[in-house]
Amino acid sequence: MENNQQQGAQAQSGPYPGGAGGSAGAGAGAGAAPFQHLLQQQQQQLQMFWSYQRQEIEHVNDFKNHQLPLARIKKIMKADEDVRMISAEAPILFAKACELFILELTIRSWLHADENKRRTLQKNDIAAAITRTDIFDFLVDIVPRDEIKDDAALVGATASGVPYYYPPIGQPAGMMIGRPAVDPATGVYVQPPSQAWQSVWQSAAEDTPYGTGAQGNLDGQSMEF
Amino acid sequence: METGGFHGYRKLPNTTSGLKLSVSDMNMNMRQQQVASSDQNCSNHSAAGEENECTVREQDRFMPIANVIRIMRKILPPHAKISDDAKETIQECVSEYISFITGEANERCQREQRKTITAEDVLWAMSKLGFDDYIEPLTMYLHRYRELEGDRTSMRGEPLGKRTVEYATLATAFVPPPFHHHNGYFGAAMPMGTYVRETPPNAASSHHHHGISNAHEPNARSI
Repeated sequence: MENNQQQGAQAQSGPYPGGAGGSAGAGAGAGAAPFQHLLQQQQQQLQMFWSYQRQEIEHVNDFKNHQLPLARIKKIMKADEDVRMISAEAPILFAKACELFILELTIRSWLHADENKRRTLQKNDIAAAITRTDIFDFLVDIVPRDEIKDDAALVGATASGVPYYYPPIGQPAGMMIGRPAVDPATGVYVQPPSQAWQSVWQSAAEDTPYGTGAQGNLDGQSMEF
Repeated sequence: METGGFHGYRKLPNTTSGLKLSVSDMNMNMRQQQVASSDQNCSNHSAAGEENECTVREQDRFMPIANVIRIMRKILPPHAKISDDAKETIQECVSEYISFITGEANERCQREQRKTITAEDVLWAMSKLGFDDYIEPLTMYLHRYRELEGDRTSMRGEPLGKRTVEYATLATAFVPPPFHHHNGYFGAAMPMGTYVRETPPNAASSHHHHGISNAHEPNARSI
């Protein structure tokens, strides 16, 4: 896995490094190299996302100002007539879970928009993210079929054995990556190749410095006085 | 008593830099929300007489779009734009996610002949449905919630004797760990981060709050 990280680091030096042959998976010759590097970058970005979320939650201490209203969550839960009673903690947990869900779906959608060099997140980006991610299968009915068909070729490429999300064994690597994220000296691991992502992570790092547990708004929630 | 219909319109008094959302953006988002609701009304009910009722029902089906957009912007680069159909699609996806997880959690409750969906049921459902990455951060979140808010929750609980009886009953099904009335004090002595990481995500937590002990909390809180 260390080797994989190093390859990722090399890939970050440029969008499509020429001549660097990937040692992983079945490739269709030289043409697959840039695509595989792109996938590695995307995997790394998602791993950094989860590491960052774990760090944020470690410092959260404000449970009054949820990003999402609890009463609305309860109503959606109770839309199912079979649901009878809901403990007080369930909507609170869902408020955080939905925040993570929105963040993950948004980042996966944005990766698709970025691949197509667009700066506007569109519905077909969300459709692509849903198609590429197994755990989002339950959302397939929300996006029209024609949106999904646009990525038929890409889905075919995916079937060639390149995973879009890392296996459980990759989890420790994710946590390992989390450590360099808090070390400015190894900023190269924190900063994705595109300028857009660099600004995002730099901004996040500046807005939420680590190690200062006293800050109550690390996760972006605001205090009400 | 349900009074949560319009929480989405609440304007937060303090905004940290992490939110990346200016006041003008919030106003724009709220206008978009009204427009979106209006569109939904037009598409579903042509009769003007049903407009108010329809508005409430439509709004209750989704998370407030302003909140959703604020969360999206936390992860997007500053120059990114979000199309209106993308905003609405994410709204629909969130509601579908809640219903999807809740359905699975509720099935487990019914199999075990329990009436109340607990936080543990929600975590179990997520794990079963493949959301493995969510388990660790949410478990930590739940632990911190109980550590920081547990005292207040338990103080609103039922008389001590009744609670003891309930736990004795639950012991048959769950074999819960020893119950501590002041979880905050007990938890404070432990390095929560380290503790959480050393325990498997699905392992029983020593800070369990069983659903039945919170059976009446929703009503109390909504008053």
